[in-house]
Amino acid sequence: MSETTSQLLVNLNALATGLFLLTAFGIVAMRQARGCLNLFIIQSLLLAASAALLGLRHESSHLYGVALVNLISKPIIVPWLLRRTASAEIYTRREIDQVLNIPTALLIALALTILSYFLAQPILNAVAPEFRGPNVPIGIAGLLLGAFTLTVRREALPLLIGLLVMENGAFLAGISIARNLPLLVELAIATDGLIIVFISGVLIRAVEKHVGTTAVGELASLKEAAAEPAAKEASK
Amino acid sequence: MSRAILFNLIQVLVVMAFAPLASGVLSRMKEIVQSKRGPSIFQPYRDLWKLFHKDEIVSEDSSWIFRFTPYIVFVTPIFVATLIPVLTNYPLFFAFMGDMIGAGFVLALGGFFATLAAVDTANPYGPIGASRTRMVGFLAEPVFMIVFFTVSFVAGSTIPYIVQEKWVTPLANFFTPSHVLLMLAFLMLILAEGGRIPVDNPTGHFELAMIDESKSLEYSGRGFALMKWGGQMKFFVLMCVFLNVLVTPWGLAGGHTLGAVLLAIPFVLFKIFCFLLVLVVIESSLSKLRLFRITEFLGAAFIISVAAMIAQIFLP
Amino acid sequence: MSVIIILLLPLIAAALVCIPLKKYWASGVTVVSSVAILILATRITLRVAAGNPVVSTLMFGLQQWIAVDGLSALILLLIAFVATTAAIYSVGYMAHENLKPSKLRLYYANYNLFVFSMLAIPVLADPTLVWIVVELTTLCSALLVSFQNTREALEAAWKYVVLSLMGAGMALFGFLVLFAAMQASGSNGVYTWDGLIVAAPTMPPVLLQTAFLLILIGLGTKVGLVPMHTWLPDAHSQAPTPVCALLSGIETSAILYVILRMFPIMHASPHSHAETWALVLGLISVGTAAFLLLQVRDYKRMFAFSTVEHMGIILTAVGLGASVAGYSAMLQIVSHSVTKSFCFFAAGAALMAVGTREIAAVRGLIRKSPAASVGLVLGGLAICGAPPMAVFLSEFSILKAGLMQKQYVATGLLAIFIVIAFFGIMLHINRMVFGAPENINGESPEENHLEPQAVENSHLPFSCRLAMILAAVPVLVLGVYIPKPLDDLLTQAAAALTK
Repeated sequence: MSETTSQLLVNLNALATGLFLLTAFGIVAMRQARGCLNLFIIQSLLLAASAALLGLRHESSHLYGVALVNLISKPIIVPWLLRRTASAEIYTRREIDQVLNIPTALLIALALTILSYFLAQPILNAVAPEFRGPNVPIGIAGLLLGAFTLTVRREALPLLIGLLVMENGAFLAGISIARNLPLLVELAIATDGLIIVFISGVLIRAVEKHVGTTAVGELASLKEAAAEPAAKEASK
Repeated sequence: MSRAILFNLIQVLVVMAFAPLASGVLSRMKEIVQSKRGPSIFQPYRDLWKLFHKDEIVSEDSSWIFRFTPYIVFVTPIFVATLIPVLTNYPLFFAFMGDMIGAGFVLALGGFFATLAAVDTANPYGPIGASRTRMVGFLAEPVFMIVFFTVSFVAGSTIPYIVQEKWVTPLANFFTPSHVLLMLAFLMLILAEGGRIPVDNPTGHFELAMIDESKSLEYSGRGFALMKWGGQMKFFVLMCVFLNVLVTPWGLAGGHTLGAVLLAIPFVLFKIFCFLLVLVVIESSLSKLRLFRITEFLGAAFIISVAAMIAQIFLP
Repeated sequence: MSVIIILLLPLIAAALVCIPLKKYWASGVTVVSSVAILILATRITLRVAAGNPVVSTLMFGLQQWIAVDGLSALILLLIAFVATTAAIYSVGYMAHENLKPSKLRLYYANYNLFVFSMLAIPVLADPTLVWIVVELTTLCSALLVSFQNTREALEAAWKYVVLSLMGAGMALFGFLVLFAAMQASGSNGVYTWDGLIVAAPTMPPVLLQTAFLLILIGLGTKVGLVPMHTWLPDAHSQAPTPVCALLSGIETSAILYVILRMFPIMHASPHSHAETWALVLGLISVGTAAFLLLQVRDYKRMFAFSTVEHMGIILTAVGLGASVAGYSAMLQIVSHSVTKSFCFFAAGAALMAVGTREIAAVRGLIRKSPAASVGLVLGGLAICGAPPMAVFLSEFSILKAGLMQKQYVATGLLAIFIVIAFFGIMLHINRMVFGAPENINGESPEENHLEPQAVENSHLPFSCRLAMILAAVPVLVLGVYIPKPLDDLLTQAAAALTK
């Protein structure tokens, strides 16, 4: 592998991770539920691209398998599963009034990204030089941004996407430092992701049917003080 | 040395001459996309010629600022055109008078005077548009600064010619995440500063919704022509900065002969044409944002530019 | 081999349960499979206690997929035991609920899948596979938590899923960093718990510590450590009672087992502060839970907070270090599991008798349902650590070990928190069981709707009584006498912990 091709691959991988970060920002800020899902699909494609590029660079067939698994499970199967389990209502939702307005949320997301770069430094310094790259900091950023999405959003679909983004982020970091993870394990983790979507979809449908809203993040009646009237209602 | 001055002059003339053409091509393409026939691409020239031959009416309640502004708005893009790479990739005679940040401030000076002039008249729509323009400009400034900061950080200098050298050399540099994010941020900035959709509708006639157009509402005759031409040149200059420094710093004249410089003109026009195509796609597929959503748009541009800066500084 | 059968049985049961047959088909299949699992688990445990760890090799290309040593066998046995008693309890409880047959089948199918996922945790040796199974426990139990489909149950289930999966996402990253650490250590071992211990001395300490912290906090969310415990009181109280017993009794302990597996790895590496983290986090959990216990309004939530407290106690015990503290921690796991499941069974009996979960609405339970009240009193005393029951013995030995380790501050704090929790629980239970119906706002209880509606069949079903008796046996016995095989098992487990 020549020097220029190698450098080109490294740069393309950096590009893929950069765009990954951008989609994570988009998921934090995007109002429409449908848009979040599309951004998530793009993000999974970028993850697969990064895995494939790293596989090309380091000639590791494991990573091709990871890329393939990601390519099939997330962009294709996840939306299909969601359509089957959750109601179609969740695709039409938009967050009109938000917990945190968008510029503030984006600024906090930026701060989290900078934080993740600092958090990644010790890890990068401790692994061999060939494993270093933008994957680990951006993977950690993905993890943190996914967690942040979970706190900031109230609609069901963005919350679910936030969970999946966390997993994507952990994976992005993992493909660069834990390269030889057995393929069976990767497959199992992907299946796990699908089961998450399935169960969440069922729960969201149940919430919509029995509670009547898709804003699952808003449900907050179980508290010590408020428990009395709620429990009274439950017990009747 | 006289050759350098000559090339600089040619550069300025190119900007002056082809700015209305770019504007004409853009509106024609937009109309074609909408399945209409559209005006001729040379229509802006005809408009300018017509306006120069008309009488000018100036309000009695306006001050010297109103009369002075068209000249400032006309001159500032010309000044910037001497600083940036338009035709050549080596610095020309006046290039060291100011760097990119200086160029940004000079352009802002033109905008500042235009805003003042809009407030100067007693027309109520002027100040509305002026305040909105200031809001957009206020939010766009940090993006501008950070974009140039990042670019200069990579290149080690703020002179656009030196920056462009850095981006040109290894092709692999094109794909670095900071570069791509910067391109995106600067594109959003051009949309904001140029008053294009999704920030503002350049073809709208509804005064209450105007942001950029309201600055030239009160002008007529020669003043109006200068304001229009100045606006077109500003847009042309921004596109040149975007294309020749950030995106496609290729096709610029490397040689010092007159022939090489003249040969660079069609290349530049071709690049601008391609960019106008992209712009048409963007403008035709998005809708104008509501006023307070513009802050989110520019906030996103800011975040993208800071992300580019982080990606550049913290990456190995 | 029997380990594979243990894993396959719940899956087969889950499949069989879906066939719509007679009324007691689903519950019967579940009970039978749980009893079979218990027998097999006991056999394995006896073998391990005698000193022969079970290792199965070369399954589908992954070496040493399954390894059962002392610690694993202990958890396995506990899971099997509580699953059996809860299955027996479910028979009567679910019959009392009068559900549609399809919903009943859904319950039992989910129950079996949940038991499968829990059983897989201690036996798998590859940490990433363990992570996958931990996520499976969340997913299989989510539908169980929301089973009653009320607003609160759905909210509890949603919070449970979101917080657990958030923690699991962090833990995934932790496991990947651990894998990277193993690669960076240059050892040629296999990526299993034992292989990690071997490779630990040469691992870069930064990676190992990062991995430990991520796993501690990520999986600590599922265990219920403060401040990630917010989902636990809701989920553990809104679920149907047998599921609560499973969740509180063994699921949190099984996840804690995964965290405990990290400790021998940390011991093998220099400069590790694993014990300090465990001590601090454990004490915070115990303290917060003890104070929160004082102001609960719902008795199932009370027991859920008590779970948080006990998880904190176990973690503190591990944090005290040394083999004696390890033994007491193991004993505490055992006693907590059996006692907590018994407490929840009693709470379920009270719920069936009274129809409300609120403490303020339940007075004088002893008149309504003697069985439930005896259960509640016994359970309450047992879980607070009153002698002569199992939890007292384990808490006492933890405090003793702490004093021996000269950790006076930690031991003192622990003792204070345990006492506070004691008062809290006994106060509430006392009021519930013995109090006379109160007058609130000057009105009589009937007008206040606080008088619990008399439910028609407040007669406790036979299977529930049977389950409660079965669960009570270890609670009472282990307080005075630890059988030799169990003692051996505990020693083996402690040895595995402090290798």
